[in-house]
Amino acid sequence: MTFKERYLAGCAVLAVAALVTVSPTRAQAPTQPQEATLNAEAAQNDWPTYHGTYKSYHYSGLDQINAGNVKNLEVAWMHFPERATRGIQSTPLALDGVLYYSGSYSRVWALDGATGRTIWSYAPELDEELVAKQTHSPYNRGIAIGHGNLYVGTVDGRLIALDLKTGKQVWDTKLLDSKKVTVGFTGAPLVVKDKVIIGAQGGEWTGRGPIFGVEGKTGQKKWEFFTVAGTEEAMKTWGGDSWRTGGGGGWMPGTYDPENNAVWWGTANPAPLYDWAGADWKKSGPRPGENLYTTSVIALDPDTGKLKFYHQELPHDAWDFDSSVGEFVMIERGGKKLVVHANKGGHIFVYDRSNAKIENVWQLVKNINFVKSIDPKTGELIGRRDLSEGKADPPLCPAIAGGISWNSGAYSPKTGLFYRIGQEWCMELTVEKSTPVMEPMAQLNIGATFKFIPPPDGPARGHLSGRDPVTGAKKWEVTYKYPPLASVLATAGNLVFVPDAEGIVHAYNAETGEELWSRNNGMGHNAGIISYTAGGKQYIAVPAGWGSLVADEYVALYGEPFKSMSKNTGALVVYALRQ
Amino acid sequence: MTMAGAAGNDLSLPPLSANTDAGMRIPFVTAASLVIIWPWLSTAALAQQSNSLDSASPQAKSEVSPNDLDGRKMFSSNCGFCHQDGGRHAGRGPKLSKSERSDEFFVERIKKGKTGSMPAYGAVFNEAQIGALLAYIRGLDD
Repeated sequence: MTFKERYLAGCAVLAVAALVTVSPTRAQAPTQPQEATLNAEAAQNDWPTYHGTYKSYHYSGLDQINAGNVKNLEVAWMHFPERATRGIQSTPLALDGVLYYSGSYSRVWALDGATGRTIWSYAPELDEELVAKQTHSPYNRGIAIGHGNLYVGTVDGRLIALDLKTGKQVWDTKLLDSKKVTVGFTGAPLVVKDKVIIGAQGGEWTGRGPIFGVEGKTGQKKWEFFTVAGTEEAMKTWGGDSWRTGGGGGWMPGTYDPENNAVWWGTANPAPLYDWAGADWKKSGPRPGENLYTTSVIALDPDTGKLKFYHQELPHDAWDFDSSVGEFVMIERGGKKLVVHANKGGHIFVYDRSNAKIENVWQLVKNINFVKSIDPKTGELIGRRDLSEGKADPPLCPAIAGGISWNSGAYSPKTGLFYRIGQEWCMELTVEKSTPVMEPMAQLNIGATFKFIPPPDGPARGHLSGRDPVTGAKKWEVTYKYPPLASVLATAGNLVFVPDAEGIVHAYNAETGEELWSRNNGMGHNAGIISYTAGGKQYIAVPAGWGSLVADEYVALYGEPFKSMSKNTGALVVYALRQ
Repeated sequence: MTMAGAAGNDLSLPPLSANTDAGMRIPFVTAASLVIIWPWLSTAALAQQSNSLDSASPQAKSEVSPNDLDGRKMFSSNCGFCHQDGGRHAGRGPKLSKSERSDEFFVERIKKGKTGSMPAYGAVFNEAQIGALLAYIRGLDD
């Protein structure tokens, strides 16, 4: 080796050493979550997908912050997003010490997880004229990471891929003609193998509620599954041409079961929302029949978009109790592989993971009268209350906002408990025999007027309970004057975190429900909450910022503090233990 | 079924109307064109709307009530999600009955909406439809 060679070799060694010393992780920073990470029960250093992992526990395996030291939790840093119209409603992701989150108008930020320093930001140009005509807009509920990209949907019908490292746009694919179908995307996408999957908003609008499979590398649409009449079999469950305007959709992300190669997704309600056919719903009214695959859980093949199996939680949903809400908690019990899914009506459905056959159904919410019960063996609705034109007597329970909303629960494999928020409220309702609204951008297809009222057993309220996910047996419960509208986080530190509607983040002992810590973030929460590490240190990240559509109800229901609470402000607040 | 079939809708129909001219023109629009644009409206109802647009006079209110069906149905399908109890009670949106806001304010708000709170209906509803909504709102008792 000559001197020059030795010099060059030395430089190379130094350069490598410098890379390793200065940034041991950056040199080989992953640009997509590992499969093992995604398939694990617990999220560890990263929070790689909306529901934590594919198991959808909203559970962090980190325990630096625990029941013993949570009293020392304090704000590490904050980030304030621009244009936080309707607050913040998203769940952040974290990968390799970087925190990523989205805000209204599908704006995205990549922040140093330890300091909050901005690494990059992205603001798509949206069709603002269209946005101004939408009711369920312009919030965004989350993002996905995979294939070296970050994915975000838009309310004007696009799915956008950004380079994870730089935030530069990789592709921008228009999937929905939102000017025609009124709706776009607000829910987080889900990465499965080479695909990114996203469901359209739907429900009250007169589309067919598609779910899309898009190739991550290229942005090419590979498949589209219609949640309204997506198969020949389903077409027969819509009288006449009603399938053309059936609503549906899949506005929250599902998850993936690799063993059965099945993407589980919850679907939205049919339109018009309130049907006036009464007991004759199979033959008359605006959408006669069961209305498959609305208000269902469906399992799709991620490679083809073909339906593998399904269960319709509420056949001919006449109450707006979507199956779009509710994560798919994948647990094992007695050798059986199960999926636990919450329906908006207030029941929890337990399924066989291989075929969506019912294993059990239990009631989370006390005030339910849209059915007498749901058969825990078959899932059949017993004593369903189908509404006719005119005033519903007695008032309908739960109210249109549901006994369960789209904020996720959490499951701790350590305690074996499922932590879920329930809502107790009812509503006076008068069903109108209306003409289905066909015009693009004519908002909503409700067919009724209504008014929220307290339930028969007390004030309108919320509760968090720790329960057995299969039987529903309750271990503890905390009651809230105002139902919390944010997701729940459970951790291996024996903690359960609940960001509430008033603005307070609570930490409870996961075994007992005893409150161990709380802090006021200054505005209500209607987003997610996650945990991750940066530089080996555990953080808890929670977006604050009020203004979801359910949150809007609180002014009339409760007055202050909601009357004067901003709906156009938000902050990502990140907590860590005091040094 | 029958509704969707009757409309023959394949999701490619144009908006019912794209009349977005500013200002209240209902008194100047011919009854015939309104019948085409908004087939449920009778000419009698139109006359009432013209009256009701001027103010929330007792006369307007009393005349609106028998024929407010169209406004009511439009309201329940499009507005009732936020303005509860048919507009008599605050919900996501404010209570509308007995409002002290002017007609101009209502029309402007229906057309332009309010960012983050209320969608803009200016490109969705024509003047007559907005008039029917206003007449319905003005006719509301608490």
